[in-house]
Amino acid sequence: MIRRPGLRRAAAGLILLAAASGAVLAGRAGAQPGVSRPQTVGPAGVGVSSGRCGVCHPAQRAEFEGSRHAREQVRCISCHGGNDDTLEQARAHGGDFRGRIAKRAEPAVCAKCHSDERMMRPYNLPVDQHALYQTSGHGRLLAQGNERVAVCSDCHGAHGILPPSDPASRVFRTNIPQTCGGCHADSVRVGKNVFDPYVSSVHGRELLDHANPRAPHCVSCHGAHGAAPPDVGDVDKVCGQCHTAERRYFMAGPHADALGRGGLSECASCHGDHAVQVSPPAWLSTVCTGCHAEDSGERALGERLWTSYQAAAADLEEARQLIERADRIPIATDDYKARLEQARTYVNEALTAAHSIDEATVSGFTARARSVGTEIQSEIYAKLGNLNLRRLLLIVFWFYLILTVLVLRRFRDASRTA
Amino acid sequence: MSAPAGTERPAARGNWVDWLERRINLTQLFSLITHFGLVYTPIDTSRPIREVLRELSQQKVPTYAQWPRVLGVLAGILFVVEVVTGSLLAFYYRPTPEEAYASTRTIVRDLPFGWFIHQVHAWGAWSLIVVVLVRVARLFWDGLYRAPRELLWLSGVALAVLVLKADFTGRLLAWDTHSYWTLVRGLEVVLAIPLVGPIVDFVIGGSIVNEDMLVRFYILHIMILPVAYIAFLYVTFGTQRRVGLGQPAGGGPGGTTTLRRHLYSLLILTVLAFGIMVSLSVLAPLPFHAQADPYTTVVGLGPPWYLLAPYAISEGTPIPGWVAGLVTFVVAIGVLLLPFWWRGGADEAAQRRARIGGIALLVVWAALSVLGWFVDRGAS
Amino acid sequence: MADHQQDAHGAPPGRSRRGTRRHFIAWLSRAFLGLWGLGAAGVAAAYLRAPHGGERAAERLVRVGLLDDFRIGEGRLIRHGTTPFFVVRKDAETVVALSAVCTHVRCILDYDQRRRALVCPCHDGSFDLSGSVLAGPPPRPLQRYDVSVRAGEIFVLLS
Repeated sequence: MIRRPGLRRAAAGLILLAAASGAVLAGRAGAQPGVSRPQTVGPAGVGVSSGRCGVCHPAQRAEFEGSRHAREQVRCISCHGGNDDTLEQARAHGGDFRGRIAKRAEPAVCAKCHSDERMMRPYNLPVDQHALYQTSGHGRLLAQGNERVAVCSDCHGAHGILPPSDPASRVFRTNIPQTCGGCHADSVRVGKNVFDPYVSSVHGRELLDHANPRAPHCVSCHGAHGAAPPDVGDVDKVCGQCHTAERRYFMAGPHADALGRGGLSECASCHGDHAVQVSPPAWLSTVCTGCHAEDSGERALGERLWTSYQAAAADLEEARQLIERADRIPIATDDYKARLEQARTYVNEALTAAHSIDEATVSGFTARARSVGTEIQSEIYAKLGNLNLRRLLLIVFWFYLILTVLVLRRFRDASRTA
Repeated sequence: MSAPAGTERPAARGNWVDWLERRINLTQLFSLITHFGLVYTPIDTSRPIREVLRELSQQKVPTYAQWPRVLGVLAGILFVVEVVTGSLLAFYYRPTPEEAYASTRTIVRDLPFGWFIHQVHAWGAWSLIVVVLVRVARLFWDGLYRAPRELLWLSGVALAVLVLKADFTGRLLAWDTHSYWTLVRGLEVVLAIPLVGPIVDFVIGGSIVNEDMLVRFYILHIMILPVAYIAFLYVTFGTQRRVGLGQPAGGGPGGTTTLRRHLYSLLILTVLAFGIMVSLSVLAPLPFHAQADPYTTVVGLGPPWYLLAPYAISEGTPIPGWVAGLVTFVVAIGVLLLPFWWRGGADEAAQRRARIGGIALLVVWAALSVLGWFVDRGAS
Repeated sequence: MADHQQDAHGAPPGRSRRGTRRHFIAWLSRAFLGLWGLGAAGVAAAYLRAPHGGERAAERLVRVGLLDDFRIGEGRLIRHGTTPFFVVRKDAETVVALSAVCTHVRCILDYDQRRRALVCPCHDGSFDLSGSVLAGPPPRPLQRYDVSVRAGEIFVLLS
């Protein structure tokens, strides 16, 4: 124990100081690294970007503070005008205050920045949105005075705008159908409900149910700002942007010209547009009757294509079952499985090539598939036949065995005498 | 061994026997054979081996290479077949989930005669199960569980249980989808049995079928269960030496023969059993399934056939699982300890009552098994 | 046939023909039984020969060929069991190995030397030489395999 009181007090003070700094350090060490402190909200609802507007307009302020614009120091007055440094309504809503932006004026307001190359350059954002919009279905109707169309905020939102790469954004790819569907699901409003057919289609299911990032949504085919329905002659080109192989074969076939001259949409005539599903191979023979007579030569050609495809598919199915049977014995089947995969490639190619309606090309593929399938089957059957050798040897073995038993019995009985 | 007993070849061949005899007690080594039921009389280990052999070859032994006593010998022969084929398989088998299936497939598909050894092992296992169960049934039928043969009965039942356990553990080793999922269902049943369940749970390492359990099953299957089997064989022969083989009720082969003839009979039996195993392997090979996928449950598979009866009680009826386990436990204990609670005498009437009781139990068990088979397969 | 066989032993001079024949039959029978032992030994020996076991691990390491046999930019399809793969020589030192199975519906790919890409003939999917999808319906990139060049020979380790 320290005897002198002064020293004792000093020691106590030092200990207290150590404890206190230890506590503070422990507190700071315990805090998770990397958590940045939230944006300071100034006194009485004054936000960094919203100024004092948010005092009277808290809902809009809350939305805006989370948006992309707020992070780039865009302010309320950038779009709405007025003053954001006062709470006096007369002054706040004075000057160039625009208030609620009129629909017809909105594109120009957004374009003030978003068509300015110098402003958008640092972000490398395009500046053609307004120009494109004016060519679009929406833009043209708006110019004619029809205000029941979409303007910028109808798709992007007004205050809570997020970039398209943000999954919470209204224009993120999986949200786009919903955004467009806000109007285009209502057949009363826009004349045709395309939202429901799209959602039920293979494209819709891929995008919405399987989150396939390559699946097309409304913008993929119709464009975003220049949105317009593709014309009859253009539909095939849009589909062909992804389905390049099918389009290549199609353009080499008789349908390209014929449908074009007839003013019929090409891909959509057979496959549909919004409600497109995975085409069953059986269509090779059934879909022709949409245009051709039941007893026509064209229909017969389709029937032949279908027969050719079916034969190949059946051959491969038989080969696959044989492989399964061989696996159960088991016989080494790795090589056969590899060749079966190659044959499947040919059969898949045949379906794509069928868009050219050229019998020679299609049967070229199916013939190759069938020859591989036949090869596999004959080789496996040969191996199965070899197994019969074992049964033959069994008979020989039994002869040997019976002979052995007889010999042993002879030895056994010979020792009876002892 | 074609020379008649009593004469020998000239001394030229005997020298090495004498050479050994001066260095080690060959008779004592040979006397180990008495432990395994081939010879029943004690052997005087102070006498030279040649004399002992000469005497033994004259000895009279009961004719147990014929029905129904042959069942015991067959169980031994099949056990040896299983050990030999199993050892050969073990040279290439790898007990990890990643390699179990691939190594089994290599054996069966790529290695010369691998398919043969594997099939003989599989069919041998089936035959051993049949033999051992029929043996228990015949011991029961002929009343060979009554005093003083309680130990015979106990070890007979124990051998049957060990063989079933060996089947249970051996199935999983192939790591194919069929055996994996029948095992998972089988574990459900076994772990629900009181007293036995927790012990099994501890020994096999829980109820999740993973790499740890596979290794334990492997060790159980190749080391522990065979050793236990041999131990109970030991008990069987030991008690038979003390109390004799017993006459089957109603008469049967009770004669005797010489040891030499008897050994030949056993050899013939082995050859015939092996021939049947080979025929089954070639004509009706057991199928080879796909690899086990622990993440994809196979619908419609029940537990192994011998566990279908308790399975039927727990799954096929509204009776709760623990009751089914308890019933199984009580019945199993009852069967095991049969000699200790059976109060009938040795007379005809008592024997008939016992047999009727046995048949009734068997019929109930069979009916439950059929029901258990349909629980999964018929219901869907 | 339980006759005395005394005269078959000791080989006394002038033994009877019957004794000799019996002796021969006895020897023949023993040889016959010995065949069982030979058969079992043969089966076990064929089964236990080690090289077959050693090959299994080696199956996964595939020798593709000599490095000098590949021109720069050349790609070849190696049909190896259920895992066909492409080997492409990107430049003087770099060789890549990629699965040849398209991740869309498992068609076998072709190599387009001009575009340095793997193209699927079925639906026009294409992949670059690191396996990433360039265009088309494939949802996932191609699997890559480890390539090692030892003493001028290209080895691919399939996993």
